Order: sequence, then C-alpha cells, then structure tokens
Amino acid sequence: MGPSIQQQKEMESAYANMRRKMAMQELGKKIKHKIMVLSGKGGVGKSTVSTGLALSLAQQGHTVGILDIDITGPNVPKMMGLDGKRLHVEQGRIHPAQGHLGVKVISMAFLLEDEDTPVVWRGPIKLGAIQQFIADVEWGELDYLVIDFPPGTSDEPLTVAQSLPDIDGMVIVTTPQDVALLDSRKSITFSESLKVPVLGVVENMSGYTISGTTNPEVNLEIAGPGGKKHKIASDKDGKFSVTLDIFKQGGGKSTAHEFGVPFLGELPFDPGFVRGGDDGVHRIVSEPDGASAIAFAKVVEAIKSQIGTSQSQGLEII
Amino acid sequence: MSETPELIRLERHDTTMNLTYADGGEFVISYDDLRHSCPCAKCSPLRNEDESSRSLRRQIESLPAEKPKVRTIGKYALAFDWNKGCSSGIYRFERIWALANNQDPDDGRSYVHGAW
Repeated sequence: MGPSIQQQKEMESAYANMRRKMAMQELGKKIKHKIMVLSGKGGVGKSTVSTGLALSLAQQGHTVGILDIDITGPNVPKMMGLDGKRLHVEQGRIHPAQGHLGVKVISMAFLLEDEDTPVVWRGPIKLGAIQQFIADVEWGELDYLVIDFPPGTSDEPLTVAQSLPDIDGMVIVTTPQDVALLDSRKSITFSESLKVPVLGVVENMSGYTISGTTNPEVNLEIAGPGGKKHKIASDKDGKFSVTLDIFKQGGGKSTAHEFGVPFLGELPFDPGFVRGGDDGVHRIVSEPDGASAIAFAKVVEAIKSQIGTSQSQGLEII
Repeated sequence: MSETPELIRLERHDTTMNLTYADGGEFVISYDDLRHSCPCAKCSPLRNEDESSRSLRRQIESLPAEKPKVRTIGKYALAFDWNKGCSSGIYRFERIWALANNQDPDDGRSYVHGAW
C-alpha cells in the first residue's frame, strides 16, 4: 500500500522546505554582498536611500538587485520606474523585474492587483512570503543585493537575518531630529543582538542647499528655519550658496559616535527625490553628476570600505 | 555578561559535541545538557520548577542517542534538528558559551512568555 494523501502532503511539504533551504544556501554563493537598509522610524527615506545606493552601485559598474521587503507599503518599483510591471515566473522560479541601470527588483507591489489593494497579513504569512522572496527568486549572479525594510525591528528584518546567509551588515538610515535618532539607536542595538554588523549610519534630509546670484563680493544674511541667521558672501561672479538645516544638524554623526559605529555620510534634502520618485525617474538617473548623486557615491564608498573590514571567519560544522 | 569569543569549529560526536573558539578555548557539551537547556517556549517554562525540570531531563535521557543536524541562524545562533524530541530552540552563541562553561544559560531567571 502506498503513502496516504496526508503522508504525501507531508512529504511534499518537507521536500519543498528542503529545496528552499538549499536555494537559500546557494543564494549565499551567487550574491557576493548583502546589505540590509533599516531605520527605527518611518518616513526617514529608507526606500529613497535603498534605491539610491543600488543605483549608485550600478553606476559604478556593479550588478545589483533590490529586495523590497516592505510587504504592506512597497514603493521601490514606483521609484525605479517599474510601476504596473508584473513578474515573470518560469519553472517555479520568480524572475525579477529590471529597472534603471539594469537593477533587478523584487517587491510585493508586483503581485498586487492594483496599488490601492492593501496587504492584510499577520506575521507568519509575511514570513512565508519573505522566505519565498529570498529562496524562490532567480537573482542570477549579483555583486550587491540591497534589502529595503519597513520601519522597525520586527518580523521582516528578523526573518531575513535568520534566513539569508552571510549578510554583510546593516545600514541605518536616520534624519537629524531626536525622535528619529531615538529609534535609530534601537536599530543599532537590534543589529548587535542579531550579530549582524552595523555598516554605519546615514543621515538623510541633512540640509537644504540654496544658491543664487547677486552683486559680486557682497555680504548677505539669509534667515533659515527657526529664524537662524546665516551670514555668507557672494564670490567675484556674484554667486552664493548656503546649506540650511531643515531639521537639526549632526544628529546622525553623534548617534554613530555614541554607539561606536561608522558614520557613512549625509544625504542632502533634495526635492528632486520627491519628483523623481513620483515620476519613476530616480534623481541619480536624471542627474547622474548632481549633488545628490555625488553624496550617494560617497556613502557607497564608505559602505564598501566597511564591507572590506567586516568579513568574519565563519563556523566549521563537522 | 563578558564578551563571547567567536565559535569557529563544532565537531559532532555520538553523545557530545566539541567546540573550538577563536581564542583557543576548547569545550565539550553533552547533547543531554544541550537539549535540557532548549530555549524554546515549550521547554523553557519546564525549567522554572525543580520537579518539572527533572522530569524534562528524564524525558530527554530516555530519547535514543543521535547526532543532530546543526544549522546556523543568521550570525547570532545555532539550531539543532533531532529526529525525536524538540528541535524548536534557537541557541544564541552566548547561550552555547554559557553551557560550555558550565554556567546556567538562563542566568537564574525564570522563563516568562514574551520576554526575548
């Protein structure tokens, strides 16, 4: 007598689990570097930073993928000009969509009927979806996989940290105000708890630069947010430029210093990101030599140098 | 808690496993001790009381001897898969270090659901 239907189902489930575990291990070999992008607080620009890092890496000639783990609020595809695209599935493997500069993208957004459809899932279902996104996707060979998370330190980063082998580390995104910094501290402690290195802290929306032209070599006084006065002088051509701190200044750097983790750099407050995000043409694509692209390139260099120093020996199990 | 050195080698034997740490330290943990200190939500409360803890120990010692499959959980823990008995526990490296050094891995604290 052959196995019962129940036994057959159990065998199939065990086989699928085994295949998934093997695929996850294989993924560790095919993808050279995996970077988690986290923040404690929402609205600090994680997805903007994730897409910016991915595009900046791609600009430098690397093969890059973005895994958008924000199951309930996925917006990476829109920022990457992939709004309304669908994923291609072949022989049970999901093939990522390709955005600007050849960056491969996987996101829950590709699976939704329309952008107004909410995903109302409890933790275990989210966990299953995340594991599928990790193990059932045909990423191919990648130099970098950037993983964009929803805010906080809950199911999503925990599942990825448990499932994905050899994660290089976490990039913590913050803005300079106290509330965001407080939550960033939680993210740093979280990463210590999971033994995933903190590659560093990025301060987003760090300052807004205004520039203009007036008479040559004159002194100017510009009132910034909160009435703070900035005294500057125009150059011999009459050009001037000043960076205003929309929130505060230096919070990301001081938090990184306080926790003994690297500070990766500041990204300017750039309204072009909002327009670019809405239009699906990322700021780095529309203005590859602009101030924001240069700031991202500096952060990428800082991350690369951290990855170079955070290799661990690994554990031999016999 | 003092800094835990990096575990670099785990060698499984029939009833024990040998651990080698990056600082050169070498330790042996019996599988019975390992399984008795399982940190899962089902086994942990049983260690809160002496009687239930002894009962858990007897139950573990009655299981057939076997080598577990060992899985790394991210960079922070190990999991042990057994054919019989509980395989749910995720053992943080600090916990394994405490066991290796004959310290109480629960640090004298009772288990409370939800306290991670």
